[in-house]
Amino acid sequence: MSIRKEHGNVSETTFNSPVDIGPLSAPDGSVTVADAASTTKVQIRGGADTGAAAELGVGYGRSQRRADGALVCGTRPDEWTIYAGAGQASAITAALSEVFGHFQGEPGEGFVTVIDITHGRAMLRISGSNATAALNKICNLDLSDELTPDGAVFSASVGNVGCDLVRDDEGGQTSFLIGCERSFGKFLFIAVADACTEFGLSVPHGWELHGH
Amino acid sequence: MIVVPCPNCGPRNSGDLRNCGELVPRPDPSTASLVEWREYLYMRKNPADWVTETWYCRGGCRRYFTIERNTATNEIRGQEAS
Repeated sequence: MSIRKEHGNVSETTFNSPVDIGPLSAPDGSVTVADAASTTKVQIRGGADTGAAAELGVGYGRSQRRADGALVCGTRPDEWTIYAGAGQASAITAALSEVFGHFQGEPGEGFVTVIDITHGRAMLRISGSNATAALNKICNLDLSDELTPDGAVFSASVGNVGCDLVRDDEGGQTSFLIGCERSFGKFLFIAVADACTEFGLSVPHGWELHGH
Repeated sequence: MIVVPCPNCGPRNSGDLRNCGELVPRPDPSTASLVEWREYLYMRKNPADWVTETWYCRGGCRRYFTIERNTATNEIRGQEAS
């Protein structure tokens, strides 16, 4: 494996989310939509049969929360994404470079990349007992518990935006993390909020999908 | 709607994928004639029958794979990662 230990992260000075309003929630609490764009997002690419992959510990389509709270997701074959609290990108990339460095030169290890993609991706969290029903209106996949149980990682269209989703239940309550290209972030938030209006969520003036 | 089985993601709406067309063997660029290159690039048989096709899972795993599809009935058999 060849590792080039350079720190090419975008500087973590100020992060401006494409969504500048607080969480929206239905009065009965059955669904909540909250911006999560500041979540640290670190993308790792490498072979599925390498020591780096074994170190990450999850395969394609699954996720695992580490002891430090970071969520390791098998986003695609040979690709992982780590989600963590805001402002942790430098620490995570440095730690991964250190760990992956131990595999350097071993047979079968290929090239591994670790990239901070926090600033390039928007993210939101939708949670509550009606979260699945609301998402089902605008997502092209079956989001039932059988097909997308807690911990499932998958890519799908949400409001016609290509998104990476993680079923990440909190306190026994259904919850999804949804990430997309940053430029689609505001539209995605509005589209998801619009889908939730059926369940009592009120959308502030100016954030309506259809402008009325 | 056609449901296409991706080897990594499982059954997917064809709208999530891109049909890259018939699988055509690539000739050796060092020996191929202009006619062979033209046939490789542009000529397709397009039968109303079973065809081996390449598909791209753009909405899911972002991998290429091949399937056999009957272009008359859209029946699908045999899938394989490219």
